[in-house]
Amino acid sequence: MRQRDELELLRWRISFVGYVIAAVLLTLVFGFWNAQIIQSGYYQLRAEQNRIREIPLRAPRGRIYDRDHRILAGNRPSYNIILIRENSPHTIEQTAAMLSAGIGMSKEELLERINRKRREPKFRPIVLKDDVSVGDIAFVRARRYELPEITVEYQPRRRYLENEIAAHAMGYVGEITEAELAIPEFVNFKSGDQVGKAGLEREYNRVLVGKDGFKRVIVNSFGREMGKLEEEPAIPGNDLVTTLDLDLQNAAEDCFAGLRPECMKAGDHSGAVVALDPRTGEVLALVSRPAFDPNAFATRITAADWNSLITDPRKPLQNRAIQSHFSPGSVFKVFMAAAGLEAGTLNPLRTVFCPGYATFYGHTFACDKHEGHGTLSLHNAIVNSCNVFFYNVGKELGIERISRYATMMGLGRKSGIDLPNEDAGIIPSSEWKQRVFKAKWYEGETISVAIGQGYVGVTPIQAAWAMGGLTTGGRLKQPHFVVPQQLKKLGFEAREIIEEDYPIQESTVEIVGKAMWGVVNEGGTGINAKIEGFEVGGKTGTAQVASKQANLKGKEYRDNAWFVGFAPYRNPEIVVAVFTENGGWGAEAAAPVAHAVLETYYKKKTGQFENKNTTIAQK
Amino acid sequence: MIGPIPPKRLSKDFDWSLLGSAVLLSVISLTEIYSSTMTQSSDNFFLRQLAWVAVGILFLFVLAAIDYHLISEHIPWLYVLALGVLVYTLVFGHRVSGSKSWVALGKIQFQPSELVKMVVVVALARYFSDLRASRYMTLMQIGKACVISLVPMGLVALQPDLGTALTYLPPIAVGLFVRGIRPAALLSLLLGFVLLLPVSWIVLKPYQKERIMTFLDPERDPLGKGYQVAQSKIAIGSGGLLGKGLFRGSQNQLGFLPTRHTDFIFSVIGEELGFVGVIASLGLLTFIIFRSIYNAQTARDNLGLFIAMGIVGTLFFHLIVNVGMVIGFLPTTGIPLPFLSYGGSSVLTAFIALGLVMSVRRCRYVN
Repeated sequence: MRQRDELELLRWRISFVGYVIAAVLLTLVFGFWNAQIIQSGYYQLRAEQNRIREIPLRAPRGRIYDRDHRILAGNRPSYNIILIRENSPHTIEQTAAMLSAGIGMSKEELLERINRKRREPKFRPIVLKDDVSVGDIAFVRARRYELPEITVEYQPRRRYLENEIAAHAMGYVGEITEAELAIPEFVNFKSGDQVGKAGLEREYNRVLVGKDGFKRVIVNSFGREMGKLEEEPAIPGNDLVTTLDLDLQNAAEDCFAGLRPECMKAGDHSGAVVALDPRTGEVLALVSRPAFDPNAFATRITAADWNSLITDPRKPLQNRAIQSHFSPGSVFKVFMAAAGLEAGTLNPLRTVFCPGYATFYGHTFACDKHEGHGTLSLHNAIVNSCNVFFYNVGKELGIERISRYATMMGLGRKSGIDLPNEDAGIIPSSEWKQRVFKAKWYEGETISVAIGQGYVGVTPIQAAWAMGGLTTGGRLKQPHFVVPQQLKKLGFEAREIIEEDYPIQESTVEIVGKAMWGVVNEGGTGINAKIEGFEVGGKTGTAQVASKQANLKGKEYRDNAWFVGFAPYRNPEIVVAVFTENGGWGAEAAAPVAHAVLETYYKKKTGQFENKNTTIAQK
Repeated sequence: MIGPIPPKRLSKDFDWSLLGSAVLLSVISLTEIYSSTMTQSSDNFFLRQLAWVAVGILFLFVLAAIDYHLISEHIPWLYVLALGVLVYTLVFGHRVSGSKSWVALGKIQFQPSELVKMVVVVALARYFSDLRASRYMTLMQIGKACVISLVPMGLVALQPDLGTALTYLPPIAVGLFVRGIRPAALLSLLLGFVLLLPVSWIVLKPYQKERIMTFLDPERDPLGKGYQVAQSKIAIGSGGLLGKGLFRGSQNQLGFLPTRHTDFIFSVIGEELGFVGVIASLGLLTFIIFRSIYNAQTARDNLGLFIAMGIVGTLFFHLIVNVGMVIGFLPTTGIPLPFLSYGGSSVLTAFIALGLVMSVRRCRYVN
């Protein structure tokens, strides 16, 4: 091969290399053309999403105060670990795998949380772990580069009083459910929001809830904020001042916690206490036992804790003060007396001889005092809680009148307290029995009703409400924690407090009131509620749980104890209903609790109250 | 055989356009290196790169002044020295991100594998040009040529720096093609390469396999490699026609771009200077490559021709692998972009390559 030929050949090959290079370079240019000209808009959007992050600013809920502006429910700072799937460089499996060990959650647990919110928009944060520790925060902050999709968000959380104080009145908060999101009340809410689930938290959620804000910030690849584009600050929820008196509440709570020697018989029992100002309907104390710790709900409650709460046979979530009805026992007698006097079937001067039993319609009905009370006036019949006297009162009234008067006086219907899911209780009538049992009313059943047994069911709130109405001369004031004026001032719609005045003679109020004063002050069953100088009146009740014939032994078959007291007995300022489940005698297991509350009230009123260090709230 | 002729005066036949292109690229490079590192106060990448560019230009002038035949005469011992340096690197070098590819010379650190590439280019050129004129090479000749480049390549691969090792292939590939290789031999070489793939798969480090898997399936991404390329594409695409402006690329300034002053410098150019900047940079590189091809075609002898073509192959390979990576056409490899990426060894090598091409040009026939 000649050199010149070879040179030609080599040059031709070099040209070929040149063409190949040119073709490849054109392909590259096309790639840039495609990215920078054709799809530039798409990539610009991606770059914006990269650098701009919307950070939710969580609004704290309004605080709940007692009547003296002491905090019942406040807020504390807390942090959540959140995942924002948008722009995540990882699949959720990878994220979960990288995160799980560091924050002490299993990969499955994390995936479960993510998958529950799978269908939500990708920019919306998913909370992976609530209320995290400093260690968890450090773990996430240290991995901003590896896990840019994971961040820590600030969220104020509810803090309630320690030791389950006023738990049922406060209720609790929790993450909004799918079902709740579907109802109109929650139209402005979104998944992940905290809403009131029970108690005042639920009732006044619209007032307490704040408005979350957000800020749009420029972040670098480490997630660090480099600048702020816009910010809509969070608006905290409105504070609520309730009518609750923490000192009265503590007095009642202490009794059931076994901290007061005088009411050891109530200690550790299930039960309820309601204290009202009958003149206004203001709720001064509301206790239900056993209680729960609402703080446990402030962080996402664990499945185990939740299960133990709902499967607990003592039903700690149940607000016994308003959601459960019980036979009122002898407490009912004062309403029978008032009904008899008003209906005219009971002559105020009437006397009855009690031999210890009575026979009606071929059945024998016993009196608690087996040897009999002898001859009794109405006053003494109430003071000594004679069954035989009231068997007669009931028989003469008949079930229809009993039903009508009892209902009028506030029993067997909702009081309208500003707490959710109030129970109506039961005041039976022949129509009621026909409706519920498809059966006819037997006259003999009236006899049991007369002493608050049988079908009669009364909630503790009703007992307090009705007693307040009766002793204030037939004025029923709707019980409430929050006065409507306060809500209106905050710009919310609020219904006025309903006041019902039913007709009742002054003499009836005086006779019944005086008799109940006697219960406490004349050596009756309410002697344990006596307070020197405060003219306490009241009525005990000891309601059978199981019929006597069944002869069942055991704590769960012991009688339920009641005491409904008020003071002063003329124009009362406070009425207290105490219910102690399986407490036995109302005189022993319920009256001392009322005493504790009334005494606290009286001491505060007269300036003798000092905060002792023995209350459960201060332990 | 045409003997060496005395070179003309340097100033008279100096290729100012090549130097001009390189200087323009260096200006773009320095600007974007400044832009991508201005938030990192710890290290002044800009000044260091500026120093390397200055040194590079100095080397360019020196090499342009030297007759390339002189270099060719000294290539045997230079080649042995190069192998020695590579062995030294293997033994005494220090490890940066998994590869023992750096040696320190006083305060200065550099990658010998970059500079050795030029020695291999000249060694190969000398071998190819010494062959008797024929249409195709014999198998024996192909084998010998392969040995010349595969020995240093193997040493680099052992560091292990497979990316850089791969850049040893283009000079031999281009050389073999231009020198002449029978289609059958070409096919068997390709076949051998394909057969070697499964073997190399076993040899590959897990992170290297991951890179390839990520390239094939960007969604699969435990190490965030696909994330890097995705961010690079976002940077480039969002730059649009005119770019976001110098120092104003959010992907760059906010750190979304990985290794942005080195491997991904072209993404920064794409983001801040837009399609216009991309075309300008690619245009300058293309000009250098085609100017070198032209110089090869007009070289005085085969030695010059093969030196120029070896350099064309090397430059082009770097360009295509790096730019192909940032735009997502090719898998992630740590191969720098000549004249643009931050890195002393890379810049110095690029300027030396250019100096060699100029030396070839200065000795050409002038009709």
